[in-house]
Amino acid sequence: MSKIGVFVCHCGENISATVDCAKVAETAGTYDGVAFSVDYKYMCSDPGQNIIKNAIKEKGLTGVVVASCSPRMHEPTFRKACAEAGLNPFMCEMANLREHCSWVHEKNEATTEKAIDLVRILVEKVKYNHSLNEIKVPVTKTALVIGGGIAGIQASLDIANTGHKVILIERDPSIGGHMSQLSETFPTLDCSQCILTPRMVEVAQHPNITLYTYAELESLEGFIGNFKAKIRRKSKSIDEKLCTGCGQCTTKCPVKKIPSEFNEGLGKRTAIYVPFPQAVPNKPVIDRGNCTYYIKGKCKVCEIVCPTGAIRFDQEDQIMEVEVGAIVVATGFTVKQPDFFPEYGYGKYADVITGLQFERLASASGPTLGEIRRPSDGKIPEKIVFLACAGSRDPAKGIPYCSKICCMYIAKHAMLYQHKVHGGKSYVFYMDIRAGGKQYEEFVRRAIEDDGVNYIRGRVSKIYEKNGKLIVSGADTLLNAMPVEIEADMVVLATAGVANEGAEELAQKMHISYDPYKFFAEAHPKLKPVETNTAGIFLAGACQAPRDIPESVAMASGAAVKVAGLFSQDELTREPIIAVVNRQAPPVYSSCVGCFLCVSACPYQAIEKEEIKNRNGEVIKLVAKVNPGLCQGCGTCVAFCRTKSIDIQGYTHEQMYTEVMALLNEY
Amino acid sequence: MVDLIKRAKELLESSAVKVVIGYEQGTGNKTRALFVEKTEDADKLIFDSRCIQNLAAYVTKKEVKEKGKMAIAATLPVMRSIIQLASEFQVNDNNLLVLGITPESNLIEFANLVEVETFVHQYQIEIDARNKEMLDKLAKMTSAERWKFWVDELAPCFKCYACRAACPMCYCSRCTVDFNQPQWIPVPSTELGNLEWHIMRAMHLTGRCIDCDACYNACPLSIPINLLTKRMLVDAKEHFGNYQPSLKGDNLMSTYKPDDKENFIQ
Repeated sequence: MSKIGVFVCHCGENISATVDCAKVAETAGTYDGVAFSVDYKYMCSDPGQNIIKNAIKEKGLTGVVVASCSPRMHEPTFRKACAEAGLNPFMCEMANLREHCSWVHEKNEATTEKAIDLVRILVEKVKYNHSLNEIKVPVTKTALVIGGGIAGIQASLDIANTGHKVILIERDPSIGGHMSQLSETFPTLDCSQCILTPRMVEVAQHPNITLYTYAELESLEGFIGNFKAKIRRKSKSIDEKLCTGCGQCTTKCPVKKIPSEFNEGLGKRTAIYVPFPQAVPNKPVIDRGNCTYYIKGKCKVCEIVCPTGAIRFDQEDQIMEVEVGAIVVATGFTVKQPDFFPEYGYGKYADVITGLQFERLASASGPTLGEIRRPSDGKIPEKIVFLACAGSRDPAKGIPYCSKICCMYIAKHAMLYQHKVHGGKSYVFYMDIRAGGKQYEEFVRRAIEDDGVNYIRGRVSKIYEKNGKLIVSGADTLLNAMPVEIEADMVVLATAGVANEGAEELAQKMHISYDPYKFFAEAHPKLKPVETNTAGIFLAGACQAPRDIPESVAMASGAAVKVAGLFSQDELTREPIIAVVNRQAPPVYSSCVGCFLCVSACPYQAIEKEEIKNRNGEVIKLVAKVNPGLCQGCGTCVAFCRTKSIDIQGYTHEQMYTEVMALLNEY
Repeated sequence: MVDLIKRAKELLESSAVKVVIGYEQGTGNKTRALFVEKTEDADKLIFDSRCIQNLAAYVTKKEVKEKGKMAIAATLPVMRSIIQLASEFQVNDNNLLVLGITPESNLIEFANLVEVETFVHQYQIEIDARNKEMLDKLAKMTSAERWKFWVDELAPCFKCYACRAACPMCYCSRCTVDFNQPQWIPVPSTELGNLEWHIMRAMHLTGRCIDCDACYNACPLSIPINLLTKRMLVDAKEHFGNYQPSLKGDNLMSTYKPDDKENFIQ
């Protein structure tokens, strides 16, 4: 016979304002098997928990129902209290009287009736509860960091410095990401590469970091602490061990007119190339799509000039399997290209460029060696116009959000232009200046007041070419929408920051969620900004939303500390709420018929085939088996099993049926 | 069917198989399943248009399986069932040889199930015109009318489970209705219980039923329960793509494909 204790909480006034808690407790006390029933103002408080503990000890309770808030809030609290009093914590159930009843209904009898129903369901369920034990799973103390931009670099270094191994993969030939493309950084105008390259070198030299560039995630299996990742190491067509990075091949390569990705198409590169001089690793790769040998079958100039014989034309992609315990996703973002904007010329005007292209023009390592020159004819522009919010904050373009970094980098661009082109005139069209951040507002004021950048509040409706000039036509909304037309030599569009190509596919590979704009979704917008909904996978940088450098770095360090926290334990404890395939006495062994539809239905690849053998080792029956380490207790297999051979511990068929019947039957 | 008899004899004589499953003359104008274990019994084998029972229902039966390797005279629906059963790991090349009978009534032997699959995939599963008309009629009803239609149709069902016994896909050693802790589906034949049983049956056959009508043919009351599975066939096609039994294990209902339409979620 069950001896169940029912503990009804008032939650201050949260429940008792609309539910008659005393009546709930009194009614529950009359049910079969209920040995103790009481209501109290704050069940989660110390005295409240003591009521539960004392009742368990004094009445010898076999089950506990706490009727209070959502189990998400206090289930651990009450389970712990039960455990401390000597009752298996999984003999404790919670009836959610707050979110499911008092908060959503008005004060009347029906509300109290519903509360009573909710308690009765759980009283009946708890009669069928069994003691369960927590599951321990080991932790692989190696982290996988995906993406070698500043966020990935920072996360890798931080994790590596705590003494744990890190595998950093980067899809491009070099780490560095967008930050390596930038000229100067706001709000201090220090050179981006000067502060970044030491970090890149540190990554390459760190004993705890294994760096794979030109590599992508192929597939991911497993769960927190125990992931198995397949990494595709794309063929670089060189033997990295032999290559010294001397650069002979890149100077002699006859294919020299490929638009350089690093220079945003403003410079050219060869088919065998190092993306930029400070690249890490500083070893070339062959771009097979553009290499004459791969297209026409002959050339091999690089092989001839290579002093160490490091060229490998027949090298194939390698798939590597690694075991990791945690993953930091830092895959970054990209920007919209001018061809996204019909009103700004569909990208057909060479002198309408993106902010990222301007960075390359302003950069000392860029195609113009830091001089601001127009891409079309190389002239120094005398009038330059910057357009903020090109695409951003424009629901009509499908990008209603603010790209966040543009206000600041446009102020920086205008400032750099004024510093480099004396006597030049610069204009900024803006919607609002969003300069929230330490020294950010001061920075923008400096651009306006000290450097004389003309800020015009308004949007640009059209850009067109006339007599070799770009006519920027917009409105000044501070002057009653007075039309403004500027004859510019060059226009810079602060195009919207958007999710990387392939972000959706990557998210699906990792089973993490993403928002409508394909940015990866954090677990909680305020309290869990670096976690994803998949345990063990964390986010850093602009793959989650547009982020500037300080934010990306802070996020990366945040993710790193989450990883380090995870790695500080040798074992993880998991709730035993998992699926189990039944076993029965011979000759049946299990009611499972081995159709294995559950195997394909399981979203976590947690179900495997198990051979039941006789004493001679002969297979008698093939049945399904759930791996307790992988199972997340979602119940998909339970719903799928026609023979009802699978049960979720803590939510068995019997318990579910009892709950339904408790509601249907009259008391 | 001379070819079939000859082939059955050869297979039994050479001990390539232990039992050949086919049809024989039954009582009245009916045919019934025949399990040929001795060469001389092979002469009883017949095949004609009356042979519509789905013999695949026997290949998962313990009593038949125990005899050793089976050969089965298989019409197109039977072959479809066998492929579905193979994808559910119930039969394989080691325990089953398929003696196919083409829609033109020719004997065609397959070396393995892959060949059977290739043959089966030449034909799409099509719902016949009469049943299609019936489905359309049901679809046009209001939900209240449809509910009444099914309550009335299913009311006489006394749960003899002939439909279950005739269905090759109902091979579970423990059917949901036999699961009694708890008893989700009530045992007695009641209005609601009958509905529950037939709806459950249709759900469990979704993405697996190859539309052979064995359930309807077996029903002593001729209740059109095959309309339920046919409806599921149509719905499954609409939401998850065309259904063909396949050895690839890409079960329609348990697998996710990026091109699943999933219109019902939006």
